[in-house]
Amino acid sequence: MRWWVAVAWIEELIREAEKSVDEVEVFFVEGESVSAELKTKKVSLATTSRDCGLGIRTIHKGRIGSSSTNNSEEWRDCLKAAIASGKLATPQEWGGLPGPADLPMTPLAFDPDLCVEPETARELLETMLSGAQEHDAEVTAGSAGLSSTRVLLANSHGVRYSDEHTGVSVSLEAIHGQSTGYEFDSSWALSRIDPAHVGERAGFFASESAKGTDIPTGAYDLLLSPLAWAELLGNVYVPALNGRSVHAGRSKFADMLGKPVASCGLSMYDDPHLSGASGSTRWDAEGTPTRRIDFIEKGVLKAFAYDLKTAYRYGKASTGSASRGGYGGLPGIGHHNFVIDGERGTVDDERVLFIHNLIGAHTANPLSGEFSVELSNAFFMEGGEYQEPVRSAMLSGNVFDLHFMIAGLGKDSRNLGSLILPAAKIHDQRIIGK
Amino acid sequence: MHGISYYDLRQVTGAFTHIDIDNGVVESAGTSFFNKAVLRVLVKTGWGVLQIDNYCPCTGKKFDELLEKAARLANITDENVNLGDVPRGILPVPPVKEDPRDVDIEEKSRLLAEIEQAVVREGIVNRRANYIEKDELVRFTDSSGNEFEYRMGRSGFNVLAVASRNGNVQMGYEREHSIHGFNLRHQQESGRKAAETAVSLLDAIIPKGGKMHAVLDPELAGVFAHEAVGHASEGDLIHEGNSVLKGRTGERIGNDNLTIVDDPTLPEFGFDPVDAEGVAVKRTEIIRKGVINAFLHNRESLASVGNGCAGHARAMPGEPPLVRMSNTFIQEGDATKEEIFAECKNGIYLIGSRGGQVDPGRGVFQFNAEYGYLVKNGECTTMVRDVSLSGDILSTLHGITLCGNERKMSPGYCGKGGQSVPVSDGAPFILLRDAVVGGSGVD
Repeated sequence: MRWWVAVAWIEELIREAEKSVDEVEVFFVEGESVSAELKTKKVSLATTSRDCGLGIRTIHKGRIGSSSTNNSEEWRDCLKAAIASGKLATPQEWGGLPGPADLPMTPLAFDPDLCVEPETARELLETMLSGAQEHDAEVTAGSAGLSSTRVLLANSHGVRYSDEHTGVSVSLEAIHGQSTGYEFDSSWALSRIDPAHVGERAGFFASESAKGTDIPTGAYDLLLSPLAWAELLGNVYVPALNGRSVHAGRSKFADMLGKPVASCGLSMYDDPHLSGASGSTRWDAEGTPTRRIDFIEKGVLKAFAYDLKTAYRYGKASTGSASRGGYGGLPGIGHHNFVIDGERGTVDDERVLFIHNLIGAHTANPLSGEFSVELSNAFFMEGGEYQEPVRSAMLSGNVFDLHFMIAGLGKDSRNLGSLILPAAKIHDQRIIGK
Repeated sequence: MHGISYYDLRQVTGAFTHIDIDNGVVESAGTSFFNKAVLRVLVKTGWGVLQIDNYCPCTGKKFDELLEKAARLANITDENVNLGDVPRGILPVPPVKEDPRDVDIEEKSRLLAEIEQAVVREGIVNRRANYIEKDELVRFTDSSGNEFEYRMGRSGFNVLAVASRNGNVQMGYEREHSIHGFNLRHQQESGRKAAETAVSLLDAIIPKGGKMHAVLDPELAGVFAHEAVGHASEGDLIHEGNSVLKGRTGERIGNDNLTIVDDPTLPEFGFDPVDAEGVAVKRTEIIRKGVINAFLHNRESLASVGNGCAGHARAMPGEPPLVRMSNTFIQEGDATKEEIFAECKNGIYLIGSRGGQVDPGRGVFQFNAEYGYLVKNGECTTMVRDVSLSGDILSTLHGITLCGNERKMSPGYCGKGGQSVPVSDGAPFILLRDAVVGGSGVD
């Protein structure tokens, strides 16, 4: 593999580190990206970047040290900083970094046809614009981005893994009077996004919501779009499955293993090998081979997510859930492809209040799950048709309680980054009107 | 060079130090390094931008190659961009009392542990404290011959207390971040306060949502100014047609007592000595005495929209500058705190914030309070938790009928376009009449 030759210094780094610490791990990322941005209907800016980053983790007598830099030529200073950082850390139970496993090295989320070229970004923008023309709305802003990244993980136990990812993302914002619409899509493969549909939906929501009226305060049957559900799920519910939060007493699920935590038809799992999904990978950010984790089966809590550090500390096994927020990020507990499933059906036949998006979901209380958010692009729906739009209203509740009240799941799932989920029908939720 | 009407280069090199203590365990601590640059080139059809990791300053042919590469990118753009004429100049970075770089990390770790230990009390099941220190050297140069360089540090801590009783889990959170130097000494009170809040919240109720009068503390009122007015006054959004404030200069939006300002020259957490386009920074009165007065601009939005001043361009290291807020606040008025509560009479008093969000085109915003109290006959009574407010930019500000006589700024970070920059928000105590309060409580 040619790339390994180019990073021969990593072998030297590992040999150097082994002189002073028990174990060392090297995470190296190199990539390029282009993006183009719309200001109204005109492409106003094109950007390209070349990123590289080196993250080093050292372990010595249970003390974990780390440092990072984006200048790999300075790996010696970075290693010194990592070793110094380890001296500050409290020692903990540690059973070692993983050794090499016989994993296929063909990438799972890599599109060889995806060219990281500005012209492709421009074409994506033009396709979105043509989609938006179907509705009476003005485009205010939009963007299209393409990226290609090579990742390398090596440790002093002989792990030498490499992977390649590609990414494509598009988004468009539109307005009609004082009514806005926003839509986006992203994937690892160019053929898996639909920029025309993104444009059409942004235009649709802007123009259709313009006729919105206020509604009285009261209880309503809701249909949360995959996007609106993902906002609440991602800010509150998924973090509560993090093993570290569980053992630290920061999770509502701390004592709930084996108990019901959601409607009985609902299952949630992480499937790192899911075909076509953006988060697919065979090894996690620490080199632990990934596997499916069934967190919630038919409403009952079955498992939490662990990385090595948390697993060793609490006598558990890593679930292969380590992930990093970029090269500089220490590995933490995350997920790869978080899927929600259950019995599917028609959820928009009877009259429901459909909510496309939420404003302020990140202000939900991450521990207790309480939230009150503003609705974005809400409509009454009946017989599968959008009917009266709602101008403005708030939804208040508790994210954990909400998951006991899910009465039905839509037929189609949507991929939203690392969350894959359908729309959810929920009875009797409190809406504060204007 | 052929076709290039302007370029600028902004390089940021620096170090990032962090310490994370979780329930008495030093989870991680250490320093990382970065070197990031962004080169922007303007040609007839728009911007070409190169983001360069690990930039080595170069001149002559090598630099020309970078310029050409950026200019070629602009082959796909089709907007004729004009840049406004702007004043130049750089402010001195406020001196620090104690430079965090002079304190070794062992001592920082020990001081942070003291704050974390101060959280210990009955009812607390988890405590966590983080220290964050950023040191940045910024170099700016452009094709007009402007050159600026400054060094600036920001540091501070967060402390979290988690209380739990019978499945009821609540948190208290305190933070102090500063541009004025090392601030970890003698801060145990923050830990104690976080613990006190978390334990008290176990007995707080969730209010029933609806319309009511609200007293906002300076921190929450600052977030209100940021979400309700600040974002919608950003010149790039005005230019795109994505703000309800577009074309409304001179219109009344609030009472005479309401003035809202963004001021990057203030020595607060959002301070900038010079903006990310090398433009001199300046105070902008967005709302003056209840009337829409001026917008926040970069050079491009100043030229296309006008009305306001540039100097509000900000960027994360290696990222292209965007129009951003810095230190945003509601100007103090003349009411005393007692007068504000007496005027509220029956309603809700809201404290602190977990942030907010706005849709500036629609003019709808939401922001959230950490906790508060029901107000009955001008007195605080039952403690409440998990309360949000929402409103319409064009109508809600009329509800601010009283502004207190003392203003306080609170540090934080603001996200836009994938970039997070340090800001501060502030206000005096304010009375907001007929606030739309979201809470899931029932009678």
